[in-house]
Amino acid sequence: MRLKFYLIAFLLVGGAMQAQNYKFGKVSKEEIEETEYPTNKDADAAILYKKQYTFYDYNSTTGLALITRYHYRIKLYNEEGFDWATVNLNGYISGSDEEKIYGIKGYTYNLEGDKIVEEKLRKEEIFDEEVSKYRKAVKFTMPSLKPGSVIEFEYEKRSPFLTSLDDTELQSTIPIKMMEVKVEIPEFFGFVSHYNQLASLFIPIDQTKEPFNMHTQNNEYLQTVYSISKENIPALKEEVYVDYLDNYAARIKWELQYTKFPNQPMDYFSHTWEDVSKSIYDDGGYATELKRSNFFQEDVDAILEGAATPEDKLIRVYNFIKSKIAWNEYIGFTAENGIRKAYKDGTGNTGDINLLLTAMLRYAGLDANPVLLSTKSNGVPVFPTRSGFNYVIVGVQFGDQILLLDATDKNAAPGELPERARNWQGRIIKDEGKSDWVYLLPSYKSKELNYINFQITEDLKLKGKFTGVYNKLVAKNFRDQFKGINEDSYIEMLQDGKGDILISELTKENENEIGQDIKEVYQFELNNGVEAIGDKLYINPLLFLSEKENPFKAEERIYPIYLNYPVEHASTVNIMIPAGYKIESLPESALVNMNEEDASFKYLLTQSSNFLRLETSIDFNKSVYAASDYDHLKNFFDEIVSKHSEAIVLSKIEETTDESTQLTKGRR
Amino acid sequence: MKSFLLSVMLLSGILCFAQDSYQSIILKKELTEHANAVIRDENIQIEIEDVDKMTVTTKRVVTVLNKYGNGFVRAYDFYDDGDAKIKSQSAYVYNKMGAEIKKYKQRDFKDQSAVGSSNLYSDNRVSYLDYSPMSYPYTVVYESEVQMSTTVFIQPFHPVDGYYVSVESSKYQLKNPNHIPVRYLEANLDSIQLEKNNTDFEISYAVKNIPAYKYEPYSPQISEMTPKVKVALNRFSLMGVEGTAENWKEFGKWQYENLIKGRDELYSSTQAEITELVKGVETDYEKAKLIYEYMQGKTRYISVQLGIGGWEPILATEVDRVGYGDCKGLTNYMKALLASQGIKSNYAVVYAGDEQKDIDPDFASMQGNHVILNVPGIAEEDVWLECTSQSLPFNYLGDFTDNRHVLLIKEDGGEIVKTPNYECDINLEETLCEIGLSEDAFTASIKKQSKGIPYGNNYHIQAQKDKDQNLYYKEVFGNLQGIHFDHLSFENDKEQASFSEELEFTGKKFYTTAGNRILLPLNFIEPEIDMVSRNEDRLYPVEILRGFTNNDQFNFKIPEGYAVEALPEAISIETDFGSFKLSVQSSQDDPNILVVKRSVSVKQGQWPAAQFGDFREFLNKINMLSNQKAVLVKNG
Repeated sequence: MRLKFYLIAFLLVGGAMQAQNYKFGKVSKEEIEETEYPTNKDADAAILYKKQYTFYDYNSTTGLALITRYHYRIKLYNEEGFDWATVNLNGYISGSDEEKIYGIKGYTYNLEGDKIVEEKLRKEEIFDEEVSKYRKAVKFTMPSLKPGSVIEFEYEKRSPFLTSLDDTELQSTIPIKMMEVKVEIPEFFGFVSHYNQLASLFIPIDQTKEPFNMHTQNNEYLQTVYSISKENIPALKEEVYVDYLDNYAARIKWELQYTKFPNQPMDYFSHTWEDVSKSIYDDGGYATELKRSNFFQEDVDAILEGAATPEDKLIRVYNFIKSKIAWNEYIGFTAENGIRKAYKDGTGNTGDINLLLTAMLRYAGLDANPVLLSTKSNGVPVFPTRSGFNYVIVGVQFGDQILLLDATDKNAAPGELPERARNWQGRIIKDEGKSDWVYLLPSYKSKELNYINFQITEDLKLKGKFTGVYNKLVAKNFRDQFKGINEDSYIEMLQDGKGDILISELTKENENEIGQDIKEVYQFELNNGVEAIGDKLYINPLLFLSEKENPFKAEERIYPIYLNYPVEHASTVNIMIPAGYKIESLPESALVNMNEEDASFKYLLTQSSNFLRLETSIDFNKSVYAASDYDHLKNFFDEIVSKHSEAIVLSKIEETTDESTQLTKGRR
Repeated sequence: MKSFLLSVMLLSGILCFAQDSYQSIILKKELTEHANAVIRDENIQIEIEDVDKMTVTTKRVVTVLNKYGNGFVRAYDFYDDGDAKIKSQSAYVYNKMGAEIKKYKQRDFKDQSAVGSSNLYSDNRVSYLDYSPMSYPYTVVYESEVQMSTTVFIQPFHPVDGYYVSVESSKYQLKNPNHIPVRYLEANLDSIQLEKNNTDFEISYAVKNIPAYKYEPYSPQISEMTPKVKVALNRFSLMGVEGTAENWKEFGKWQYENLIKGRDELYSSTQAEITELVKGVETDYEKAKLIYEYMQGKTRYISVQLGIGGWEPILATEVDRVGYGDCKGLTNYMKALLASQGIKSNYAVVYAGDEQKDIDPDFASMQGNHVILNVPGIAEEDVWLECTSQSLPFNYLGDFTDNRHVLLIKEDGGEIVKTPNYECDINLEETLCEIGLSEDAFTASIKKQSKGIPYGNNYHIQAQKDKDQNLYYKEVFGNLQGIHFDHLSFENDKEQASFSEELEFTGKKFYTTAGNRILLPLNFIEPEIDMVSRNEDRLYPVEILRGFTNNDQFNFKIPEGYAVEALPEAISIETDFGSFKLSVQSSQDDPNILVVKRSVSVKQGQWPAAQFGDFREFLNKINMLSNQKAVLVKNG
């Protein structure tokens, strides 16, 4: 019995191995005939095989080189998958050093009748492009594609940048049937591997030691070999309200902790967040940059004149920098041009601007320090790496509070950060490179408060006044979108989607007073806000302020839901009931809480004499909601949309009452 | 020493003058109204040194008033290795007081490949100014000199290059010392301040004080309304290929001889394959259809701009082998396949895009951005083929290339013809919905058919994945809550270019209640109308490029225990712009079924600006009347 079991198991394994031959060129008929990915029939394409082999090669004349060989076999199930047959390989250039691509070889395989026919990718179909001073590209597209084709290509990338290992990508937006990765790192490089902990998928990595071949007689050096062999890696799934999809892919990041070359002392880089911060502090020239002040002293003295409180000083310095230096849209945690040059030229990267801000605030006597962070597109820094940071802002200590500043964003007030920088947590570095975590997501709530007063005219139009008050990040958002736009275009945008409306007498307050609440007021006349059916009037009291659609449409959710910042959207509507009408029915009031305090919705209608008052608010108390809250959030929105669609019904008052009103009028 | 002082004084004098003139706080109100940027002073000088040598000298001074105006600075020039060379480039930036704040020499400009993400290859490059504005307004003075050997494109005089930009002064001059014959064509020059000084061989224009154009919905393309002078040489060169032409016939002939001719040979094996494919098929129409489908199955679209500046198609044999090509390569390949069966066809150059831009029938020059195939004589009307699509039906162009003038490049010369127009009654969408209502849910079953232009917009959905189809319909029916699909099916009748969708789904509560009444919205599917804002001062004509007809029927089964209390009246509206009909009544067969019939028809056409108010009222009525509700009341 037992023997039999073994036999079957053995046969199965043997069979599976026979079916797939991953040697270049050994594409099987079965692979071309396959019409869908077995476990994901929605996939337009699949990586049947991916092989990556990274190693250091030693040559006695040229020294070490970092080489990576790639081999891809990709199945294109349909025409939508053809994009995977166009390949764009990038090589970085730094001065006279550059990454180079060699030995591109590619074939397309199709079935003609029963025969496999192959078409070669020719030399003249491979294009080199100098994209910019820092980047070269090699591009090609595979020939003779048909739905069902299998393509295969391999190439080698040689890099002179020995201490920087590219991330090893272990997941894609299409499924991977078989992946083999091998990374060999000689003992001269103290690289540590970090697996992306946000990935929902775990892939085991095997680690061994082997001799490192230097093609010399006495070879006593070792290398660490990381190997991965994994079948059926599922595709990354796309969803709405995700901060950055790529953050959730399985991958390895490599962090260099030290180098130790033969007959040389060890050179340490980093291995804790403390070390990373310290090394950035040292290499980034923070110590020197932050102490420079002679070139701005005079100017800063002038603007600080008469400033009494630290808060006053802070706002003066902050506004001064924002008015003096424009962000050149490059990010980085080091001062690319140096703060003195940036000051003189009036332009600089994030490092230039925010380190200069730190230096000036310190000069003004404030406890200001740089805060390193990772932008959303750079991922969440969960393990200590220098490349885990790519941006710097400023943290100013006020008692036990830290106020965050980013002078690259003209519309941000102190404490407000641009969206790119609001990514989990950052690292504040004090003098001597000591550091600590700081939360970057706003803890305060931003508000949008709308007020509408309207009445119903005799010809059934709605006439009224709208007042909007926008606070904190809602105000910043408003400025990002609309500041500087000419009034006509803005009114058109306002009118858009509000039905048959005419907006007039628009005023905006504080639009340019960054940090202050924006107040916007206008008069409106809405022609299609009332429906008269029979002798009744139907009115949606929220008019154009109602939520009409649930943004969450998908049935399920994998990633956390990003709603950006805690916010309250509140509306108060006052309606005057027209003479000759009475209330027939009103929507019921409602109060809905999601997970107790995470979010809440209020809808409250009250009547006093001939006035109706509606107060409604939607409160989101968190910036990010867990994927497990998805159903709650979706139902929460359903409740809102349903309540927001309800109508007030007014009916004509009986004839007799009508006459009495007329009589009353007559007496006057 | 003396002369040194003098030159310093002169320089500073010029500088002072420059500062004054680039001050931006003194701009006239008529130029800043609706404007995001002002072109202060543009001066383009084109010197034709020879048939294959010209130099373009540009000075462009732009004051940017706000962040939306940054795109009008246009401080860049394109170049490539063989053909266009930037001889000099410089830029100065001034603040609002007119003080210089930044200076860029040629080496300070950034260099980048101009391939773009949709192209696999092109050798175009761009050298551009990378300036981050600190505050507004600011002024950029850009100067450049570019020398090129291609003279078939002469930059037109086109002072207003977009909405929300005004022009204080713009000059254009073409110098032509060797007297190469030149042609030009003016458009929209009336009612602007213009100085013109043209001779037989030289051209000179200057305009002043043109206020910014403001966008108005449903208006003609801005390029059809702004002043423009097109210019072309009668003897010219394209990447070293010289030519002579005065009209479309000659220009087309030159293109045929130099770009198209002889590129349509096929391997004999392919010829044999095609012959086998159409064996026994009687008509050329049927043969062409089979061959088109063969081509669609064999190729895909990849943009590779190679050969005579990207104007020459890749050889048909090459497309045959690799199975891809750009629009030129694929069209030429299709032409070759047809020719192998003795079916003649014409390479047709067109401006693609839904704005229906014409190849100018009155001015022969290098125009167009796309190529399609014209097959005459195999049916009553010419057959047209879009060769870059792998899925469109035979003889279907859709809104990418419909109803516009195109250039046929024929053996005996060029000819301008028009592509087919999709009329209002061809662009038809018909929907029948059966809707069941209950206390807090509804069920719906929908049958929809699309023809004409809507066919091309809708048929893609069948190829999408289940998940994406679900999301697509949830967006389409955004007014319905909590919908869940039980069944989706499609039928794509390529023969008739007719696409059918059948959907069954459930959703959360559709109507609202008010006391013991139900307010039943009759707008189960909203009409596809873009509402427009009021505009008492409409300047431009109302234009509808494509008419359409939507016929919808919604059969609502009303919930048990309710009766109809009030229904909207039937209405029928006829206007210059189209018609609208709506009727609501209980079904004669079953009094519990409420039948809503709605028909919207919008015509193709152009109407004077004065009729904008009527047009808006028409759209509003459609929206308002569609949004009416029925009132149901609980029995007893």
